[in-house]
Amino acid sequence: MKRLLSGVMGALAIAVVALATPAWAESKGKIYYLVPTLLDEFQTESVAAIEKFLKDVGYEPVTLNADNKTDLQQSQMNDVINLKPKAIVLAAVDFNALQPSIEKARAAGIPVMIFDRQITSTAVDFTSVAGTVEIGHVAAGEIQRLLKEKNGAVKGKVLQVLGDPADPYTLDIQKGFEERMKEFADVKIISLPAMQWEASNAGTIVADQLLANPDIDLIFVHAAHLAVAAVASMEAKGKKPGDVLLVSSNGAPVGLDLIRKGWEQVEVEQPLYAQAAAIGMFADKVANKQEIKPGKYQVLGLESELTIESWGPNLKIPGAAITKDNVDESRFWGNLKAPAEPVTPVE
Amino acid sequence: MNREQTASGAARSGGASSGTGPMMSRDRRALIEFLLDNLVWIMLAIVLAVFSIAIPNFFQIGIFANIVEQSTFVGVMAIGLAIVIIAGNMDLSVESIAALTAMVTGILFCARGIGLGITLTPEWLVLPVSLLLALVIGGIIGVLNGLLVVRLKMNAFIVTLASYIWVRGLVVAISGGRSAQDLAPSLRFMGIQTFAFIPLIAWLAIACFALFTFVMAKTPFGRHVTMIGGNPVAPFRAGIKVDRLVLITFVLAGAIAGVAGWLLAIRTSGATANLGVGMLFNAFAAVVIGGVSLKGGIGRLPGVYAGVLLLSSIHTAINLMGLPAHYTQMILGALVLAAVLIDTVKLQIRQTLA
Repeated sequence: MKRLLSGVMGALAIAVVALATPAWAESKGKIYYLVPTLLDEFQTESVAAIEKFLKDVGYEPVTLNADNKTDLQQSQMNDVINLKPKAIVLAAVDFNALQPSIEKARAAGIPVMIFDRQITSTAVDFTSVAGTVEIGHVAAGEIQRLLKEKNGAVKGKVLQVLGDPADPYTLDIQKGFEERMKEFADVKIISLPAMQWEASNAGTIVADQLLANPDIDLIFVHAAHLAVAAVASMEAKGKKPGDVLLVSSNGAPVGLDLIRKGWEQVEVEQPLYAQAAAIGMFADKVANKQEIKPGKYQVLGLESELTIESWGPNLKIPGAAITKDNVDESRFWGNLKAPAEPVTPVE
Repeated sequence: MNREQTASGAARSGGASSGTGPMMSRDRRALIEFLLDNLVWIMLAIVLAVFSIAIPNFFQIGIFANIVEQSTFVGVMAIGLAIVIIAGNMDLSVESIAALTAMVTGILFCARGIGLGITLTPEWLVLPVSLLLALVIGGIIGVLNGLLVVRLKMNAFIVTLASYIWVRGLVVAISGGRSAQDLAPSLRFMGIQTFAFIPLIAWLAIACFALFTFVMAKTPFGRHVTMIGGNPVAPFRAGIKVDRLVLITFVLAGAIAGVAGWLLAIRTSGATANLGVGMLFNAFAAVVIGGVSLKGGIGRLPGVYAGVLLLSSIHTAINLMGLPAHYTQMILGALVLAAVLIDTVKLQIRQTLA
């Protein structure tokens, strides 16, 4: 019994020492990344990228997945606040619902960095975004070009397949896209949401609409994995690559493959690696509560502009249109070639 | 359940033995019985007629073929779910099982993304091998569910809820959140080739319904499963191996859900980690609308298929009308409530007839 007790005590002592000792001696502390879901490739790759870039600058990253549940992410925020990390990186499930949690964290002295999903309703310490509305703008520009090439003018019928209608991400893209298409009265846009971002729902929409509106010129889907199902439906209806133009957004590997196969003409990329690199570059400034200066910054070779907005320092990194001419460039995250070079903190 | 089954049974036996009620002729009673038994088909016919008149571009063979095609996955999933429910249990894991088999099919037989692009010689072997694999994977999870319910007497709702969660987690784990695409042509042809305007995958779903309708209606297995769902004690006393049959229903549900996932991978030419999300609730709605009692012991698979077609028709109508998808959810909820209400009314009518 005595031996057993001493064994248990010894194990406990080891556990306490292990828990109290940082994972690596040079660590500047923990930074938590609250990822909204791991059910799409952008988010999955963002975990790898953010963890890599935070390690580059000496932090110990910890990732928590909210499974697309707002309440779960709120609980995670509350838990993390109690753990007093150096900072929190948040990609919010719901832009507005997380506002009180952000305020609570900052009141507790924990800086909050926003990744990818912009929050403007409350003050944050740093934001790294491509801008979802801007993705809609880029898509609109490319779609105007494609329609002009096909029909001689910016006219025709566009089927817009959104993601889940409860997700502000897709609504922002829609907003950006439609505000740039508004001036083209000869373009008819049919918008339908793929519930829960589920691919077969997108396939069903495309299958129905190709019958109801056989004169559809172009399909714009809000995520590359939906484009795969859209192509499957087109193929099932006897369409060949290029019969119906296809544009997608987010730059996932599947979208790039569809460009290579000729089914898709444009993929509007979210510059995932640059967005994640910026988190690493500015982590010291944020964690140490130092002033962040506005201006132009080079992030993985992309000229990005940092402005001081009412909600805090905001770094906007330009998205890019991927076509068959540039699809193989390694800077696109869809090629899954994360930059090997470590990032350096901003001075 | 017992009350309902007894009432229903009494109505039927009453009609057969006495031949006449005090107020109603035999023919009229038979007509009412027929209408009650096929109410969901009548609803489907009315809905299709209304949509055809009211919605531009709805009335065309292609749209009807689409409705049948879209019913494939939820329909196949609903077969296994209905069998388990008729047996007096519950299986929440069917959606995740379908996602798992879709992902396994995608990983093994897709050429891009995380697909390994495995090829077999001759090429057509991919079809039976992948189908067998889907059946086996689904069946194994069904065995696990069934054993926990039958041997350890754990609650089926909790057991299958746990499976719903861990199996979806397994999908995310094996895929790393990534997707597979560009499925082998020898599988894709099932989603592209049509017979009588309907894709082969939809014919497969129809064949599944026909097979299991026969099994449930015409074989001792089907009759015993229905009896167990009505009252497990009586069949046990009659010497029927209740536990074994309940276990088989879970295995069947798992294996059939595996087929649903296999079909889903074929339709979408690959798999994503969130493939099939939300289908469980559609399958449940179809089962309830189709007249299967959640208390067990009552239900016929043709009614379930009609329920699936009804839901697909509504989804398609909403797509064509361009209504926000939120309306789909509202209509779906209202439809399920209406189905339960109609079921209650049917019971009362049958009691009156008896």
